[in-house]
Amino acid sequence: MNKMKIARVIIYIFLIVLVIVCFIPFYMMIVNATRPNSEILRGFTLIPGDALLDNYDTLTSYMDVWTGFRNSLLVAVSVTVLNAYFSALTAFALVVYEFKWKNAIFVTFIVMMMVPGQLGLLGLYDLSETLGILDTYWPLIIPAIAAPFTVFFFRQFLITTMPISILEAGRIDGASEIGMFHRIVLPILMPAIATMGIFTFIGSWNNYLVPLVIIRTPRLFTLPVMMGALSGSPVAMNLGAMYLGIAISVVPIMVAFLFLSKYIISSITAGSVKG
Amino acid sequence: MKKNNRQAYLFIAPFVIVFLTFNIYPIFLTLYYSLTNYSGMGGIDQADFVGFNNYVRLFSDRYFYQAFFNTIRIWGLNFVVQMLIALGLALLFSDIRLKLKGIGLFRALFYLPNIITIASVALLFSILLDWNHGGLNQMMLSLGLIDRPINWLNSPVYAQSAVALIGAWMWFGNSFIVLLAGISGISKDFYEAALIDGATWLQSFKYITIPQLKPILLYVLITSIIGGLQIFDLPMLLTDGNGSPQGALNTMVLYLYNQAFKYNNFGYAATIAYGLFFITVAFSAITFRTMYRKQV
Amino acid sequence: MLKRVFQFAVVVLGVFMLTACSEDEPDLIVTSFTDELQAPIDYFEELHDVKVDLQIIPTENYVNTLRPALESGSGAPDVFTGEIVYLKDWIEQDYWENLSQAPYNVDEWRSDYMEYVWDLGINSSGEVRAVSWQTTPGGIYYRRSIANEVLGTDDPQAIGELFSTMEGLMEVGEQMKASNYRLFPDEGSISPYTNGANPQPWVNDNDELVITDERLAYFDYAKELRDMQYTALAPAWSPAWYASFTGPISYNVGWDELDEDEDPSDQTEVFAVSLPTWGLHSVLKEEAQETAGDWAVTNGPTPYFQGGTWIGMYKDSENKDLAFEFIKMLVNDQEFLTDWVMETGDVLSYYPVMEGVAAGYSDEFLGGQNHYDFFIERAEEIDASTVTRYDQQIDELFGNQVSAYVEGNLTREEAIDEFYSQVVNAYPQITVPD
Repeated sequence: MNKMKIARVIIYIFLIVLVIVCFIPFYMMIVNATRPNSEILRGFTLIPGDALLDNYDTLTSYMDVWTGFRNSLLVAVSVTVLNAYFSALTAFALVVYEFKWKNAIFVTFIVMMMVPGQLGLLGLYDLSETLGILDTYWPLIIPAIAAPFTVFFFRQFLITTMPISILEAGRIDGASEIGMFHRIVLPILMPAIATMGIFTFIGSWNNYLVPLVIIRTPRLFTLPVMMGALSGSPVAMNLGAMYLGIAISVVPIMVAFLFLSKYIISSITAGSVKG
Repeated sequence: MKKNNRQAYLFIAPFVIVFLTFNIYPIFLTLYYSLTNYSGMGGIDQADFVGFNNYVRLFSDRYFYQAFFNTIRIWGLNFVVQMLIALGLALLFSDIRLKLKGIGLFRALFYLPNIITIASVALLFSILLDWNHGGLNQMMLSLGLIDRPINWLNSPVYAQSAVALIGAWMWFGNSFIVLLAGISGISKDFYEAALIDGATWLQSFKYITIPQLKPILLYVLITSIIGGLQIFDLPMLLTDGNGSPQGALNTMVLYLYNQAFKYNNFGYAATIAYGLFFITVAFSAITFRTMYRKQV
Repeated sequence: MLKRVFQFAVVVLGVFMLTACSEDEPDLIVTSFTDELQAPIDYFEELHDVKVDLQIIPTENYVNTLRPALESGSGAPDVFTGEIVYLKDWIEQDYWENLSQAPYNVDEWRSDYMEYVWDLGINSSGEVRAVSWQTTPGGIYYRRSIANEVLGTDDPQAIGELFSTMEGLMEVGEQMKASNYRLFPDEGSISPYTNGANPQPWVNDNDELVITDERLAYFDYAKELRDMQYTALAPAWSPAWYASFTGPISYNVGWDELDEDEDPSDQTEVFAVSLPTWGLHSVLKEEAQETAGDWAVTNGPTPYFQGGTWIGMYKDSENKDLAFEFIKMLVNDQEFLTDWVMETGDVLSYYPVMEGVAAGYSDEFLGGQNHYDFFIERAEEIDASTVTRYDQQIDELFGNQVSAYVEGNLTREEAIDEFYSQVVNAYPQITVPD
């Protein structure tokens, strides 16, 4: 029993060291965000400096990180909502109705889940140019309506959790099909929507390549594109302001995560085991 | 009874229309570009049809091979490190004798790097790893771990390792959670029976944990391959976007991006996209077969 | 609970959509790759009571980002600048409006400008598509105090004498090193004088890559600078590079070249840097205020020029009148340009202002030196015929291979071969030497 205790202490020490290693980059980022450039060039310290406001002025005189934040949020929320709603609708139709080509559509899904997003990138770019929607959020948002993986996940979920008899009872009461979808099916799907929603949101939030190709106007930059632009900008000559810019893009997400972590992690567990 | 209902077409219509327009059509458009010398500007009608010339070039293009092997090396190291840590942690936390506390807290802390924007992470490390004035060298110098700064991003080996380890740092928490869920799903009866039969820890790991975990491992492996082959943000932003040092960070998607948007070889970039696609399919298929060979 | 989260998300989305739409639109959008135009824009906004939006896209992404916008028209600005390295390409495209036509008739201005600057904005059909207020000859800026201490003089004439050959430069480098100074921040400071010894375009009319011995000499001089420790290992445009203009910076030789007994965290101070005219106001005056008055500028071994910003208006702009007003102010407004020169010390291609200002000018930042005397004379030597549309990318590929050689990662031959093969990979139509 004593041996167990020692082992446990050693393991806890190891875990704490691992946590520290994980967080050192973030800690250095936050400390350096408060230090003037000249000091950062001279050396490293764990004690915050007093140049936070100067760095903030330098950063914002060139780039409005908060606008990037808002843009990213706008895109990610739109993508998440559209993805959830239309995937649910499609999954509902696949589970509840019989119609022509149903199996063909289903097989296409499975195949398309294997296709890397980059395959259509150049085509998407040219299509957007043809449609005149380059430099807008539409090419980032609209494709979320057709997400095979989410449909697949919702379909599996509905098959196991939704009794068809509920719908038949509804029909007898004279409810419309779309009305039943909204009042009965969406609530049943909510746990699955939350699970996929988190993945979709994080995926959209972190997406760099597609907005990089599609968006040109700096005012419309999403956060990752803005971060990319930061490295070649005049801000790059001031390391303190650089660290601060990165910190602003990172810290709010970390805080949000701490509040939602329990929920997010159970979703990942569910997503991997069922998916 | 399932109902035959016309409204079903209405319900799947948005999906089908968007799917055909924004998924399928661009893929065929890209396929068509890959058969032309389209520059990406001035419209496709100004380009010439060149047949399979681009594919011939792809097969003999040493920069594409370079990008392929770079991608594999980076992914490989990333995966090994990530899985060692994740599997180790999952075993520790699932061990019935150790009864470790604080699973919730540690899971959250280890997972956190995964939700941070990769572009921000790349930018952060590009300045932390700076030779003269980066935080890492400064810290290691002041702790006495090294007595002269290491030029991380100027050495191909270090730069690739840096990308791999940053990737592992971002993803081990995710794999840990998934593996832990998988191990927790294995019935305790197996282990108790093994214990009665006098099996060692290693034997029960080899004959119970690993086989039972196979579907989860396959899931982790395939998602990791598909993601790993597409690595772009980190190599793009960690150095100059050209794959420096000496092409060590030239990955397949970065190469695709540069050919399309930097050098205006849109047609050839489309060919690279198809190369990437076939490689992804091949890798997924090989993984699948290897993992399930014994059962089939 | 979940349902509420979902509803909340929809509300947030709606609010964002609304705020995104209600933003007040600017009257004019100007796109450029530096913030240099911010001051002229502030002045212009006040003068005309309009709102002008300056969009800055960093140099390395500028062409990739802006060109597709110009091609498609979506997201295109009203006014945009172009750097000399891709100017040639852009004036031939239908991006900039033809300024030779009525009502602009800019051809009338021609005689007021330096010939090469004006001519670079004319396309093959003889139309002026872009104009510029600058001329961009380069020189070597150095610290007077360090010159006095090590070389015994800070006189630009005398220092220029020392700098007039490569051997002379290296000689000064040796003297600097002996006093723990470094000649240049990085090896790039020598590159203007290798190509400058025999200026050739990167690519000739037959799509052949032109390689001269002088150009290849960059490999050797860069290696010499590094091996002899004449540079401070502060790469151009890095934070350390900027910091090197204000005082000592930390200096790490790294690797094995360092003797064991030397302190690896040693510090050193940089003596000089090669920069063109615009480097004075956009780099030194901005970032080296601590050393103001301690600088001077003189010649290097050969003349050279670097960069240069041309400006024009987008052909489909909806605000052409206002756009032209802005361009006119920036390029052809005597009052504004005189203020601009007095403020920044920029060297103009516009004679009416230059002639008035150049005589008797003295720049406080340069310790009272009249750098116009120096630069205007240099500008007359500029031969812009070597500019090609490949310059930006090929310069970058070349520079990367030189550093690979300097760092000792490749041999000279390997680096040159790699350079050739990268050029062909990027531009399959170009032929390279065997």
